Amino acid sequence: MILGSLLSDLSAYYSDNFGYLMRLFFDHLLMSIYGVLFAAIVGIPLGILIARYGKLSGTVITLANIIQTVPALAMLAILMLGMGLGQNTVIFTVFLYALLPILKNTYSGIKSVDPNITDAGKAMGMTRNQVLRMIELPLSLSVIIGGLRIALVVAIGVVAIGSFIGAPTLSDIIIRGTNATDGTVFIIAGALPIALIAVIIDIALRIIERKLDPTVSDNDAPEDVQSVN
Amino acid sequence: MKRLSKLLLVVVASLTILSGCTLPGLSGSDKDSIKITALATSESQIMSHMVRLMIEHETDGKLKPTLINNLGSSTIQHNAIENGDAQISGVRYTGTDLTGALGDDPVKDPKEALELTQKGFEERFDTKFFDSYGFANSYSFMVTRDTAEKYDLTTISDLEEYKDDLRLGVDSSWMNRKGDGYPGFIEEYGFRFDSVSPMQIGLVYDALNAESIDVALGYTTDGRIAAYDLVVLEDDRQFFPPYDASPLATNALLETHPEVERALDKLVGKVSTETMQQLNYRADGEGIEPAVVAEEFLEEHNYFDEEGEK
Repeated sequence: MILGSLLSDLSAYYSDNFGYLMRLFFDHLLMSIYGVLFAAIVGIPLGILIARYGKLSGTVITLANIIQTVPALAMLAILMLGMGLGQNTVIFTVFLYALLPILKNTYSGIKSVDPNITDAGKAMGMTRNQVLRMIELPLSLSVIIGGLRIALVVAIGVVAIGSFIGAPTLSDIIIRGTNATDGTVFIIAGALPIALIAVIIDIALRIIERKLDPTVSDNDAPEDVQSVN
Repeated sequence: MKRLSKLLLVVVASLTILSGCTLPGLSGSDKDSIKITALATSESQIMSHMVRLMIEHETDGKLKPTLINNLGSSTIQHNAIENGDAQISGVRYTGTDLTGALGDDPVKDPKEALELTQKGFEERFDTKFFDSYGFANSYSFMVTRDTAEKYDLTTISDLEEYKDDLRLGVDSSWMNRKGDGYPGFIEEYGFRFDSVSPMQIGLVYDALNAESIDVALGYTTDGRIAAYDLVVLEDDRQFFPPYDASPLATNALLETHPEVERALDKLVGKVSTETMQQLNYRADGEGIEPAVVAEEFLEEHNYFDEEGEK
C-alpha cells in the first residue's frame, strides 16, 4: 500500500520534472567523465613512466594513496578555499580521486606483461616505443580500462557531494528531500538516477574491458589454454 | 628521454589549455559566466531560477547565468559574492543582512530597514540591494480559519484574552532566542501562553491543521498556509523584524550588463507573500522542482513583458 503510493508519487515526480532532471543527470555524468578524462590524461602516461623507471613507482603511488585517504567532503572544502564554488572545483576533486585507480592499474597492467613477450619483441628489432605500442599497451589494455571503470564509479559518488559547494548535481534533489517535512519521494527520486548512472557505466565498461582483453576470446576453448601452458 | 620529456610537455600543455576553457556541455564552468547564489530552501531556489530565466529572456539567451545552489546561509551567499564566485543573489532578506553582513542593529520598520540595507550594501560592498520582490518571509502567528472566526482574531494582541485556552506551537530555536524570541515577545506584548510546545518548524503547520495546537508560530511564505487556509495574525506592535526579500547584484556586473538590471527591476513588486506561499506549495507540497515552478510562473505572466519595452 505504502509502496504503491510511493511508486505513483515517483512517477508523478519524474513526469513533472523530466526536463530539469535530465539536465542534472547530464551535468552529473559530464562532471564525472571530465574528471576521469583528465585523470586518464595524466594517470596513464604517468603509469607507463613509473612502470618503466621502477624507482619512481613507490613515491608516485604512495602520493596517490595519500590523496585517496582524504575524505571527499574535506577535499572539496579545502579545494573550495582555493578554487571557489562550482563545477570546476568538483571536476578537480574527481580528478584527484580518479588518479589512483588509473595510475595503479596502468602500472600493474604494464608490469604484468610477460617479460618473455617483450624480450621477443626486442629480439625482433623493435624500438622501445614499438614495444610499448605493439606489445605492452595492447596486452594491458583491459586492466587499464578496468582502472577507468573503478575511477568512474568513484567519480559519480564524489560528484554527488559536489552539491554542497553549489555544483548542479543529482544530489540537489536529495538535499531538497532532507529539508522537506515529507521528503521520501525526493530522496528516492534523486538517489535512483545516481545509482543508475553508476550501474550503467559499470556494465558498459565491463563489456568493453572483456572485449579488449586479448587473452579472453569467445571461441577460446579450455583445451587451447592448456596447450599454451 | 628527449621524446619522453617532449611527451610530458604536450600533456602538461594540453591540460593547462583544457582547464582554462569552458568544458563543452557544462555551462557553468566558464569563468566569465554569471552566477547566481541560492540557499537550500525552495523559496530561494524558485526565486533564483526566476532571476536566471528573466536574464536569459531579457538578453534573448545571450547571457546564460548558472546557479550555485544549496548554500547554507546568507553569510555564505555574501562571502561567495565578496570572493567573486558569484555576482547575483536570488533572494536576500533585509532582516538577515542588516544584522548579518552589515552587522547593524535590527530595525523594526520595514521601509527603514530596506533603506539602511540598500545604503549599507552600496557603500560598503559596492553591490545593489534591489527593492523588494513584494514578499517577506518573517515569523508570524497563525491560526486556522475556524479558530480565527470563533475567537474573532485578527492581530496578535487579540490573542491575549484567550492566552490560557489556546495552545501554542513554536519553532524550538525561537524559545530561547534573544531579541525576537519568546522572552522578547513576553516583554513586548505583555502576556504569555499557558501551553507552549516547541517543535521542529516544519511540523507546526501540520500540527495546527490536525488541531493538536491552536496557534502556531511559522514562516509567512510557507506553502502550507495557503494549502490549509490558515490565517496570519497581524503583528500590531511590529515585534518581529522585517524580512523583506530582494535580489542583489554587484555594481560591476550591472555596469557591464545593464540588461541584467532591467531584468531584475521587472521582478520588483511582482511576487506577493500569497503568491510565494502558492509557489512554495507547488515545490514542497506537490513535488515540482523549483526550476519548473519558476518557469511556469514566468510563462504564465509572459515574463512581465507588457510593462517596459524590451
